[in-house]
Amino acid sequence: MKIRTTATIVFLLLLLFAGIALRLLITRQVDGSITLAIPEQEFVLYRVVPLISALIVGAGLGVSGMGLQVLLRNSLASPWILGLSSGAGLGVMATMYFEHTYGATFVGSESGGAILGAVGTLSLVYVLSRRRTGIDPMTMVLVGVVVSVLCGAGIMVLQHAVPMGLRGSFTTWLMGSLPEVESWWKLGTLGGATVFGIALISWWGPTLDAACLSDDEATSVGVNLPRIRTRLFLVSSILAAIGVMLAGPIAFVGLIAPHGARLFLGGSHRSLTIATAIMGACLLVFADDIRQIVDIGSGRLPIGIVTSVIGGVVFLGLLLRNRGRV
Amino acid sequence: MRLKISDVTMRYGKLTALQGVHSSADGGKVIAVLGPNASGKTTLLRTIAGLTTPSKGKVELDGVRVDKMTPHDRASKISWVPRIAEVSGAFTIRTVVELGRYAIGPSESRVTEALRQVELLDRSESLWHGASAGMRQRAAMARALAQRTPGGMLVLDEPSSALDMHHLKSMGEMLKQCASEGDIVIAALHDISFAMEIADAVIVLKEGRIVLDGQTNAVLTPSSLGGIYGVDLNWAVDEAGKRHLVMA
Repeated sequence: MKIRTTATIVFLLLLLFAGIALRLLITRQVDGSITLAIPEQEFVLYRVVPLISALIVGAGLGVSGMGLQVLLRNSLASPWILGLSSGAGLGVMATMYFEHTYGATFVGSESGGAILGAVGTLSLVYVLSRRRTGIDPMTMVLVGVVVSVLCGAGIMVLQHAVPMGLRGSFTTWLMGSLPEVESWWKLGTLGGATVFGIALISWWGPTLDAACLSDDEATSVGVNLPRIRTRLFLVSSILAAIGVMLAGPIAFVGLIAPHGARLFLGGSHRSLTIATAIMGACLLVFADDIRQIVDIGSGRLPIGIVTSVIGGVVFLGLLLRNRGRV
Repeated sequence: MRLKISDVTMRYGKLTALQGVHSSADGGKVIAVLGPNASGKTTLLRTIAGLTTPSKGKVELDGVRVDKMTPHDRASKISWVPRIAEVSGAFTIRTVVELGRYAIGPSESRVTEALRQVELLDRSESLWHGASAGMRQRAAMARALAQRTPGGMLVLDEPSSALDMHHLKSMGEMLKQCASEGDIVIAALHDISFAMEIADAVIVLKEGRIVLDGQTNAVLTPSSLGGIYGVDLNWAVDEAGKRHLVMA
């Protein structure tokens, strides 16, 4: 590993540890003041569980975004461009609707609906984007947008159909939040799957590098494009779906983390994957830190709002920088 | 190495890009593919390089269909230089050239030598996105040089469209050098003078069909080419006594 790569990864890890320490120590007193203090034993878990969730969701969404940017050859691609968010939202809304209307109880309830909606949407996008020679990136973006719009319409229909009270629950879910109580089994399984997915994409790094050439050039140097595109689609989608399952739709991490990592490391995807995972985890942990500090009078902000504000500004910057090329 | 093109037809919906193309070539030759715009040159080259499967017919290299080769086999036997090289991502010129070795294993010495040949060694750490069209074309050539196995096939789609005269001359020398090492070199060209300078044989396409195929000097004449391109051509003789085709 080159010295620059090692130095970058060590720097990002130190940054992450700083964010983790802050998250564990930041304490809001009853009078609203902020102090840094070791929490009492009984409150430690309420900080550790969201922290672990932030690490899993941030790293997974970051690497998922990087994979989709390579797959779609679009530096502004992110998990949401494929309809994942609206698909998951439709799943949650449908679960709420059926539970309320028919008194049915579903396993996993909202998170189960989210994962079903996300997987269903992505499967539809995958099937409709397939061509004789494999996935067509341009078709996939267009299909993703159309499926997103259709899911959005479905959400509005269901919102119209449920009572007012349920609409509030759904809106809260849409803002994204890190769980403070979660089973260790679930965290362990989703964390393990995320680490495995990140390791796989990092292992495919050299192929991802070559897949950044045009289709003809990549094929001519020996890349099996249909195979790597299918693999990237599946792993990136699973990583993003895990994020939705744990924390709801957290926007912009998948877009910003790969760009942040590229600023330090350039284009080589083996090391870039690791740096992107740490960067994604950093983003979410620091967003959670900010969330602990900022209070606009209605309690702590949902984390999705913090990432949206940071991400929106960075997204605009990217858009302006890439004007004419995207 | 022997290339055999048998009855190749390529259709895109109702459009027929190539119609019943037959030809063959042996190692050690430079073959220029000429023809007016939209005559099927790029489609023919992509088919020859195994980048697309023809609707009908086949292209074989030493008896093996190029579109049925494994990615590794194809990469080790056939190198491709596109008209416009495209890279997404923050890569340096050297990294883009190194990608030519993706399937066949890294080789620092081959990459450095290829960069030296195209005169990009001192710019190799520059970012690809900052490179000019000419530099990108030379980098794509370097990638093919780093990738090629002597005695294989080098396929180039208008490799000289962005080059200045100095680099055009060295490109011609590189192609002849590859042929002298046993490669089949096939290049689509628009510059007839350059084709006459470097090519041992030419294939001329019009509306997806081969209309001329043979030795360069025998095939390229004012009357034969003038009819194909729809212009009046004459011979002009330079001070060294060399003949050139010029527009009347």
